[in-house]
Amino acid sequence: MDGSTVISTSGLTKRFGQVVALDGLDLEVVRGEVHGFLGPNGAGKTTTIRILLGLLRADAGRASLFGGDPWADAVDLHRRLAYVPGDVELWPNLTGGEAIDLFARLRGRFDRARRDQLCERFDLDPTRRGRTYSKGNRQKVALVAALASDVELLLLDEPTAGLDPLMEAVFQQTIREVRETGTTVLLSSHILAQVEVLADRVSIIRQGRVVESGTLAELRHLHRVSVTVETSESPDPLRQLPGVHGLERLDGQVRFEVDGDRVDAAVRALAPLGVRSLVVHPPTLEQLLLRHYGDELATRTRTSSEA
Amino acid sequence: MTATPALATPTGTDRGGTFTGTWTLVRFLLRRDRARLPAWAIGLGLFIVYLAAALPQVAETEEELRGTTELFHDPVGRMLTGPGYGFDAPTFERFVANGYGLYLLILAALMSILLVVRHTRVEEQTGRAELVLANVVGRHAGLAATLIVVAISNLAVALAVFVSMVGVGGFGAGGSALFAAGLIVTGLAFAGLTTITVQLSEYSRAAAGMAGAMLGAAFVIRAGGDMAEVGGNALSWFSPLAWAQQTAPFVLDRWWPLILPLVFAVLTAAVGVRLASRRDLSASLVAVRPGRPAASASLGTPLGLAWRLQRASVIGWSSSLAVAGVVFGAYADPLLGAMDDLPEVFLELFGAEDLLTGYLAYMAVYMAYFVGAYAILAVQGLRAEEIRGRAGPVLATPVSRWAWLGANLAVTAGAVLAMSVVVGIATGIGVAIVTGDGAHIGELAVAHLTHAPAVLVVLGVAVLLFGLLPRAIPVTWALVGYGLFAGTFGAMLDLPAAALGVSPFEHAAGVPLEPFEVAPVVVLTAIAATTVTVGLLAFRRRDVEVT
Repeated sequence: MDGSTVISTSGLTKRFGQVVALDGLDLEVVRGEVHGFLGPNGAGKTTTIRILLGLLRADAGRASLFGGDPWADAVDLHRRLAYVPGDVELWPNLTGGEAIDLFARLRGRFDRARRDQLCERFDLDPTRRGRTYSKGNRQKVALVAALASDVELLLLDEPTAGLDPLMEAVFQQTIREVRETGTTVLLSSHILAQVEVLADRVSIIRQGRVVESGTLAELRHLHRVSVTVETSESPDPLRQLPGVHGLERLDGQVRFEVDGDRVDAAVRALAPLGVRSLVVHPPTLEQLLLRHYGDELATRTRTSSEA
Repeated sequence: MTATPALATPTGTDRGGTFTGTWTLVRFLLRRDRARLPAWAIGLGLFIVYLAAALPQVAETEEELRGTTELFHDPVGRMLTGPGYGFDAPTFERFVANGYGLYLLILAALMSILLVVRHTRVEEQTGRAELVLANVVGRHAGLAATLIVVAISNLAVALAVFVSMVGVGGFGAGGSALFAAGLIVTGLAFAGLTTITVQLSEYSRAAAGMAGAMLGAAFVIRAGGDMAEVGGNALSWFSPLAWAQQTAPFVLDRWWPLILPLVFAVLTAAVGVRLASRRDLSASLVAVRPGRPAASASLGTPLGLAWRLQRASVIGWSSSLAVAGVVFGAYADPLLGAMDDLPEVFLELFGAEDLLTGYLAYMAVYMAYFVGAYAILAVQGLRAEEIRGRAGPVLATPVSRWAWLGANLAVTAGAVLAMSVVVGIATGIGVAIVTGDGAHIGELAVAHLTHAPAVLVVLGVAVLLFGLLPRAIPVTWALVGYGLFAGTFGAMLDLPAAALGVSPFEHAAGVPLEPFEVAPVVVLTAIAATTVTVGLLAFRRRDVEVT
C-alpha cells in the first residue's frame, strides 16, 4: 500500500448474530478520486462505512484509513474526514444551524462563509428545529455540515436519498467542486445515474463482498455490449459466433448482446450482411448490476410465480 | 325497502355538512383506543378499589381514621387534597372522596387532555388528518368526534369509579354518583380547554404542555384558596379543579356546582371550534418561532452538547424536586401537631425519639430515590441517542467514546449533586416557612447530599450496563424500586441486615437524626467510580448500535 491509498480493506468480515453483513470485503480507494460504492440495500455498504469510522469493530480482516487503524486511531483519523449518514437523525430541539455549527466545530477547521453559502445553495432554512425538518432537509443539514468542513475525505452514505432532482443537481455540482480541491470521496449509493455521473471508479458490493471494482470504462470492457442492427440478409451466421448472446428478431430488426472482447469479430461478421442501420451502446449500470443480481432476481421471480 | 342506491347521506347537521362523517370517525377513534380507554377506566376503578381495601388496614375503625386524617385537615393537608370537607367527622367514604378525590380529578383531566391532543394535533402533525379529510368528511367532524369519544371515555371512567365505590367500598350510592359525575364534568372542562390549546401550536407536545400548564395553574389556584380556610375561599372558585370538589360528596352532597364545569366545557369547546375554522390544516394560530440560525459559543464541545441536550430535563427535575421539597418540608408543622395521634406504623418508619428529625432524615432518603430515577432516565436517554442514530455522527468527528460518554456522565453526575443540594435547601425552606426557624436549611442540604453517593452507585450500575449489556439498562430500576421498598417497609417487615444492605440507599447516615459519617460516602463513591470506569471501558470496546 502506498501513500496514495486512502481506504484499504482486505477480507473484512462482520456478523450480527446469525446475519453475515460483510463476508471478506476488499475495497481500495485512492487519493483524490470519487469512488462509487454501489449495491442494493442490505449489501453491506453502511456496515463498511461504520467500520471505517470505528463505530463498529470488524470480526476479521483488515481495514486501514490514511494508513491508520480506524478502530484504534478513530479520533485522529476523524480530524481528516467528514461523514454523512444515510438516515440523518437530528436533535428535536436544536435548530439545523446549531447542528451544522456543532459538527463543524467538533471537527475543528470550519469555514463560516462557506457554511452560509452552502445553506443558500441547498436552500436550507437554518432557523428551524430538528423535529420540523423533512427527511430531505435533515439530509441537507448533514451535507452542509460535512461540506463546510475542511477535510481530506468525505464518507457519504446515500447522501441524496431524500433530495429532489434540483437539489440532486446542486449536490453533483458541489461534489465536482470538492474533487477539484483534491478531496477524496467515498459515495455509497444505489442511484446508478448519480454514480455514473460523479464516480471516477466504482466498486460493486453484493452480499458483503465487492464483486467488481474499476473505472466505468474498465467495467464496460469486461462486459457485453448491446447491438441493434438492420440487415438486408439473414443474420443467422451470427448465431454460431462465440460470445454472442440472446439474439432475437423484432420487426425486421435484430438485437443481440456480445461480450466486450468479441465486438470486433461481431462487427466483421455483420459487415457482409448489408447493414442498413446499426446501434451499439455500452451497458448502463443497471445492466451491470443486473448481471450480478441476476440470479437473485431470477430466484425471486421463480418464488413469486410458484406462489 | 327503497330502490334508491345506498348513497351515503350526511350524518352531520345543519352546519352545511361540516360535521359529515362524525359518527364514522367516532367508531374509528373508539377502534383505535380500544385498549387505551378500558385501561384508563380500569386503572381509575382499581385506584378506588385499592383505597377502599387499604384504608381499613391502616385504620381499622373510623375512630382510628380520625388520627390519620389530622394530616389532611390542617392547611398543608388541604393544600395537597382540597377544601377538606368532612375531615372533622371522617368516614371511609368521605376520606376517599374528599381526601383522594383531587387526584382522580387530575387523572380524569389528564386523560381528557391527552385524548384531545392525540386525536387532533397529533393527527395533523403526522399528516394522517389529511388522509381522513380528503374523504367525505366535514371540517369539524374530527374535533366533534374527538369530543364525543372524550365524553364516552369520561363516562366509562365514572362508571368504573362508581361501581368500585358502591360495590367494593360499600359507599352510599348518592354520594358516589355525585363524585363520579364530578369526574365526568371535570374531564370535559379540560377537554374543552384543550380544544383551544391544540389550535394554538403546530406541535402536539406544546399543545399538551399548554393544557398541562393550565391544569397545574388550576391546582395552584385552588391550593391557595383551600389552604386559607376549610371549604376554601373565593379564590378556590376560580379553579376548574375545585368545582367538582365543592360538591362535597358524602358531606354536603350538593349538585349545583357541577353546572360550572359543564358551562366551562361548552364555552371552551365552542371557542375551539371557532378557532379551528379560522385556520388551515396543520397550521397554528401562534406563528412558529424561528430558532437560532447559528450555534452559541458554548455548543461546540462534547460537554457543551451534553449540557444542551440534558438542560431541559435537569431544570425540570430540579424545579419539581424543589417544589416537592418545600411541600414536604412544610409538612413538618402538621406532623408536629398530629404527633400524638399518629399510628404505630409511622413511629416505626420515622423513629420515635425525635419525630421531626426522623421525618426529615427519611425525606432525605425518599427524595434520593427520585434523584436515582432521574439518573437512570439520563442513561436511558443516552442509549436512545445511540440507537436513534444521533450518537454515531458525533462519534464520527474527533470526539472519542470517552469524551462523549464522559461529558454526558459529568453533566448527569453534576446534576445529581446539584439536585440533592437544591432539594435539601428547599426542604429546609419549607420547614422554615411553617416553623419560622431557618436553622434546618444547611443541615438538610448536608442530609440530602449524604445520599448522593448512593444515587451515583445507581448511575454507575446503569453505566456499567450501558457498556456491557445495554439492553439490560432498565434492570437498574430494580435497584431503586428495591431501595424504596427496603427503606420504607424494611423496618416494619424486620428484613435481615444483609437484605437491607443490598440497597445502596441503606448505608449513608440518616442526617439529621444521626451524625454525618464519612466511611459510607467514601465506600459508595468508590463503588460508583469503579462501575462507571468499567462501563466506560466496556463502551470503548463495543459496537455503536443503531436500530
